[in-house]
Amino acid sequence: MSDFVEQCRSEWRRLGVADPLAEEMAADLASDLREAEAEGVSAEEYLGSSVFDPRSFAASWAAERGIVPSPPSRGNARFRPLVLVAFTALAAIALIVAALLLLTGQPRVSVVASRTTRPLFPTPPPGSFGPSGPSRVVLHTSASAPIEWILLLFAIVALGFAAWLWSRWGRSRPPTATA
Amino acid sequence: MTATLRRMAIGSQRRTELLRGVLDLCLLAVMDEGPAYGYEMTKRLRDRGLAIVGEGSIYPLLGRLERDGLVETYRAASNGGPPRKYYRPSSTGRLALALGVSEWRAARDAVDAVLAPVKIEVAS
Repeated sequence: MSDFVEQCRSEWRRLGVADPLAEEMAADLASDLREAEAEGVSAEEYLGSSVFDPRSFAASWAAERGIVPSPPSRGNARFRPLVLVAFTALAAIALIVAALLLLTGQPRVSVVASRTTRPLFPTPPPGSFGPSGPSRVVLHTSASAPIEWILLLFAIVALGFAAWLWSRWGRSRPPTATA
Repeated sequence: MTATLRRMAIGSQRRTELLRGVLDLCLLAVMDEGPAYGYEMTKRLRDRGLAIVGEGSIYPLLGRLERDGLVETYRAASNGGPPRKYYRPSSTGRLALALGVSEWRAARDAVDAVLAPVKIEVAS
């Protein structure tokens, strides 16, 4: 039975229940189970089907006490995997496109940073002769950065982020309730 | 044979559902007799023929009663054992118990009025 209590304790720790509260619940549960056992009442008789699913039992107890946030609504949880799949697919497509562009070398696209100097002379007053725009414009171009590499970098970062989201979603899924 | 087992399972499920709706009242009632800790409450219920096996544990329910302010708790040493968490109804809990018992009696009487004429015959 100490194994059951230990599993409950680790579930409370995972859920972020404060240590004093988790210890209090674990101690009460252990004492009750010991007393039940001494009187010949098995853990299954005492706890019902919960004894087979300590994680659900512990999560339910903590949630009912209001010491952990309630699980997200079913509506949001239902669509979360779809959003994750879409995001992962987009990142994968970006990676493939970037890889193809880099392998074929076509088309060669560059991001060009430009800097425009302000005109040295003001615009002529209305009614005077001469061009109406800026009298002198000088464009400077900086070194170009191939967009394929930027796309590749973006795709790798996005895929890493997607992997992190998947692992987080997997951990946050509630255990299958049996009670 | 299978049909009989299925009927028994349905009966057990109905009992579970019925009990689920009033278990909080039962807990408030037994702790109103005197402060009690978790296992002690199940013993009091069992002594009255109300075994809660299959209905899940009472702990989440006690947690909800505590969260809703329907019970007060304190720690005290049990008979020679470690300190236990004792529960007793708060003033709000006593009010909730009174209202709940009134609702239960009204519902029970209404259901009895419907079911009382039914004759139960068990075919051998």
